[in-house]
Amino acid sequence: MTLDVFLLILRLLGIVLLYLFLMQVIISITRDLRKISSSNDDALGKLPPVIGHLIVVDSGPSKIPPGTSFNLNPQTTIGRGPTNTIQISETFVSSEHTRMWLRNGVWYVQDAGSTNGTFLNNQPAKDALAARTGDIIQVGFIRFKLA
Amino acid sequence: MASQIAASEIGKRHYRWKELGLLLVPMLILLLEMFQLPLAQYYKTSINNDSKPVPFSTSLLPTLHDLIPILGLIAVIVAIHIILTIFFPKTDQMLFPVVALLSGLGVLLALRTGPDASTGSDPNLGIKQLAWVLMGMVVFLMTLFGLRSLDWLRRYKYTWAALGIILVAVTLVNAFRTKNFNAPTHDQLNLGPFALQPSEFLKILIVVFFAAYLSENQDVIAGGNLRIGPITLPPLRQLGPLLLMLGISLALFLGVRELGLALLIYGIFLSMLYLGSGKTSYVVGGLVVFFALGFIAYELFGYIRDRFTTVGIDMVNWQNWSDTTIALVRDTGSQVAQGLVAISSGGILGSGFGLGHASGLVPVAQSDMVVAVLGEEFGLVGLFALIGFYLILLYRGFRIAIEAREPFQQILAAGLTSIFGIQTLIICAGNLKILPLTGIPLPFLSYGGSSVIANFIIIGILLRISHNTAREREGLA
Repeated sequence: MTLDVFLLILRLLGIVLLYLFLMQVIISITRDLRKISSSNDDALGKLPPVIGHLIVVDSGPSKIPPGTSFNLNPQTTIGRGPTNTIQISETFVSSEHTRMWLRNGVWYVQDAGSTNGTFLNNQPAKDALAARTGDIIQVGFIRFKLA
Repeated sequence: MASQIAASEIGKRHYRWKELGLLLVPMLILLLEMFQLPLAQYYKTSINNDSKPVPFSTSLLPTLHDLIPILGLIAVIVAIHIILTIFFPKTDQMLFPVVALLSGLGVLLALRTGPDASTGSDPNLGIKQLAWVLMGMVVFLMTLFGLRSLDWLRRYKYTWAALGIILVAVTLVNAFRTKNFNAPTHDQLNLGPFALQPSEFLKILIVVFFAAYLSENQDVIAGGNLRIGPITLPPLRQLGPLLLMLGISLALFLGVRELGLALLIYGIFLSMLYLGSGKTSYVVGGLVVFFALGFIAYELFGYIRDRFTTVGIDMVNWQNWSDTTIALVRDTGSQVAQGLVAISSGGILGSGFGLGHASGLVPVAQSDMVVAVLGEEFGLVGLFALIGFYLILLYRGFRIAIEAREPFQQILAAGLTSIFGIQTLIICAGNLKILPLTGIPLPFLSYGGSSVIANFIIIGILLRISHNTAREREGLA
């Protein structure tokens, strides 16, 4: 065997390995995507359950009448932007104002970097705070009751 | 039975099996190419002496000692895999294997091109690149551990923007003082033993600034309240800081003839504007402005015209070249022309790693023309595989962006990912004579310390965002 034959074998082996790696990555990508699409199907099968409400107690300077009720999802965002679950078009509400999520049956409230702040029972919610039913959540100048 | 399955699923979640599995083949590839390099060098020297076939004997095989650089790199890669498993078990598992392979190939290419003539013959180039990659991996871990909250990136956006501009401005003033614009090092900042290239870090700072600004003014910018006839313009007052930042960086780069960087910054601006607003009309408008400005610059600056005459060379029809074309190919166009000859001589399967001539003939083969070296030695199949790796990098980056929970993190991840995409596009097109050649590094593959470290910082931020998303999904915040 001459050296160029040996080098040819090494070169072909290198190409095979490069494409083997590419194939491996693409297989794991497709698996990943299948998993996501099947979990999406599961989510579509069940109707999103209403697991809580926010009821306006004090509308502050806004035009929302007190007593208005908003449905909560397990992951809820409140803000002025169009992507929020609960959209409030008021100038004192930031585009991404508050985030709320349910974990192990407990609601957590956290400010999403707003200008006028989020408060849970008058305490600033810079970090995530656990909220109980009946607590007062203040978004900007609007006060809600968690129900 | 059911509990067993559940238990194994939990076990899978805690150990990064997928990453380990994906790391095995890249390690094999790196070892194989490293193994091949001394053999190829021996083959080349003995074929120069006489044209008889070179016999193969086992005494020619490289010893373990010759493989040390790559073995060291593999050890570090495994160590990082273990650290990721312990501290960040739920971050993205596909990004790191691809990055490990690309940066390992970068080390191999520097080892390969270093001793050859065109690079100024620096036999330590590979070891230097290895040191940079190892340092980059340390910086990558530091980014991953240090960026506990991404919020301070967003909060101090003007500080980051100012920092980036000052860094580059200092370098440029230095360049003006010494008046060496044509030297390839004119955009470097010498800090003791390190020659930093601040523009590499400026691009990260610019993306952070754009992401912070766009995520805060998203709905206003997407609203588009300024109307001129049928065209809706973005509100200029909200775009002001963005345009100012863009203008400063473009002026800086065009002032020192960094065409590629100006192109990169403008590309980042357009893609991030699109990500922030979701409006195709802004991108189309931006492109129209770009072509208009480009045409004005083409008319005004001689050096841009020179770059474009190189793109116009008809390589296939070389028998009918006029004298001016021949002069051009010998002088300013030689880099691109030699690169194209190298790529075409590689053919489909390539000449084999270490057996090409590009690294000896193409000027600056180790950084600007790395695509030509790859194209010759790995062939068309190698280039396709390479583009595949970059596409996977982009795919994973955008996946991380889609999954992120906050708009700032989404736009940041997508913007950082598009840096890789735009850079790869510009330098590959430059090497293939589709665009004028510019001095932009190919991410992870080109030789260069600043660029390797900047790229590892980007990967660090991406994995941090992925980690934050995974943690939030579990409900911990």
